[in-house]
Amino acid sequence: MISTFHYLERDFRRWVRGRINVVSALVMPAAWLIFVGLALPIRFTDNYLDFITPGILVLTMLGASLQGGSLLMFDKVLGFLPKFLAMPAPRESILYGKILFITMRGLVQSTVILVLALILGAHLLNPLLLIQTYMVLFIFGILLSSVMTTVALTLEDHDSYAAFNSIVSMPLFFTSSALMPYDQMPGWLAAIAMLNPVSYAIDGIRELQAGVFPADTFLGLTAGAAIVLAVSVYVFRKATV
Amino acid sequence: MTAIEINGLTKSFGTLKAVEEMHLSIDHEIFGLLGPNGSGKTTTVRMLTTILRPTSGDASVCGHSVLTEPRRVRDRISYVPQDMAVDAKLTGRENVVFFAKLYGVRNPRDKADEALARMELGDRADDLARTYSGGMRRRLELAQALVHDPEVLFLDEPTIGLDVAGRKKIWEHIIDLKNNGMTVFVTTHYMDEADYACDRVGIIDHGVLVANDSPEALKARCCNDIIVIRAEGEYRGTDIEGVRLIGQNGDELRFEAGCAGEMGFALAGALAGAGMKVKSFAVRQPTLDDVFLSLVAEQEETAAFDYQRFRTMLRRRA
Ligand SMILES: Nc1ncnc2c1ncn2[C@@H]1O[C@H](COP(=O)(O)OP(=O)(O)O)[C@@H](O)[C@H]1O
Ligand SMILES: [Mg+2]
Repeated sequence: MISTFHYLERDFRRWVRGRINVVSALVMPAAWLIFVGLALPIRFTDNYLDFITPGILVLTMLGASLQGGSLLMFDKVLGFLPKFLAMPAPRESILYGKILFITMRGLVQSTVILVLALILGAHLLNPLLLIQTYMVLFIFGILLSSVMTTVALTLEDHDSYAAFNSIVSMPLFFTSSALMPYDQMPGWLAAIAMLNPVSYAIDGIRELQAGVFPADTFLGLTAGAAIVLAVSVYVFRKATV
Repeated sequence: MTAIEINGLTKSFGTLKAVEEMHLSIDHEIFGLLGPNGSGKTTTVRMLTTILRPTSGDASVCGHSVLTEPRRVRDRISYVPQDMAVDAKLTGRENVVFFAKLYGVRNPRDKADEALARMELGDRADDLARTYSGGMRRRLELAQALVHDPEVLFLDEPTIGLDVAGRKKIWEHIIDLKNNGMTVFVTTHYMDEADYACDRVGIIDHGVLVANDSPEALKARCCNDIIVIRAEGEYRGTDIEGVRLIGQNGDELRFEAGCAGEMGFALAGALAGAGMKVKSFAVRQPTLDDVFLSLVAEQEETAAFDYQRFRTMLRRRA
């Protein structure tokens, strides 16, 4: 569906024109990397930066998805959607274009964060592992941006979405394995963290770092993304008839 | 094959019948759907553009049913909704090229330039749409709509919120499109504009099409000449034959009458005789406004909140 890419192109053009937005999304993860990654006195590892970088990369994707969820809703509220729906291009490509844009934008932002981590002293994975890391981030991004786009479509107004966003984002990050390994967590936190999809992605990248191919992570995330995407398409179709 | 053929089109929202049993046939003309706010104009357009599914009835556009062949309908039409939406952060050209690509036209850039030139936006094509005036944005939307040479164009309140010059220009373009063979389905609640531009108008009230003819025929059929009298004091009716009160607004009384010239004097005299203080009187031809007011029950403005302002607010956030 070539029209998916036309919608994608439109969103990218609009994004790069909004100068402040391009930078603002990077402030949070960069701050985590610098102030927590470098400054925190940690005993369980001698290179905390290497430990925390996967977490921050996933955090970047998380932030991008949460921020991007409302994009389709805005297209609807601002009156773009009716125009698109009256066009011969397949309607689902509107949804696919949006999910793809949110994910790709997250990957661009993750790349900036990754470069920053390297400058600060993190160690580079070999090219093959790097590609695999990006694949984990990509699938994770598809999963999360589908969820958030669907939530926004269902909630239908920006304030409820913003509220949902703030309820979800912080707990999702802090109850993940981003900041410490499971054996350093209190038992109750470790229990939650193991169930958290965010830790799933982070652990996958850490396994890559350690030289293990995380087949179960790939499978799990892909299956999750496929299911959520199907739900997303269903909700989108219902919302646009 | 008629461009638009509407057969018993109906849309209900719960118990509310937004559009009821509409029958119409439209071809190579500018058809204006007129009605007060909330009368069902947008709902009609949304059904014809395959965005909304009718509750019952059907319509065919360029020979294709909106129910069974919506994709084919979308291939042949363009739709410019009531609420203006152009990407402010993109240039005029980018806005149009984007649509050209979505429509799958073979040479999107050339087609976009052509459409922009046609809408007199050629010299501003590389400016961000943010810098465009309201009228220019509307023309940019028309350029987007024209980029794939549609056979039928649907415009929902195309002149709403524009200044006088902007409105005139939009209508000139619409007339020009019709003269080049396009069928245009347009909604508006500005009677004077419909009178000026439309070949045929339908008047819709509470979802029901109450009239459908050329503006001239409607005016001729609906009323005789109009006498407008401004007078202070209480109006208690008149026994002059052939004169009928059709509207009252403050101290302004509107009557219709056969030979309005003579009747006017007689009427003014009679009112003065009945104790009213006549300040002025005038005789004029009926306008579409008069047709409209005689057909449509007058109603209160019921907009619960200022939707336009709400949208402006959101736009700033987006
Ligand atoms: N999605 C909807 N759900 C419920 N009621 C609706 C919906 N869309 C329109 N209506 C109602 O249908 C009626 C006709 O609306 P509309 O077609 O927008 O009128 P117009 O465009 O003539 O102002 C109004 O009473 C409106 O409140
Ligand atoms: Mg309307």
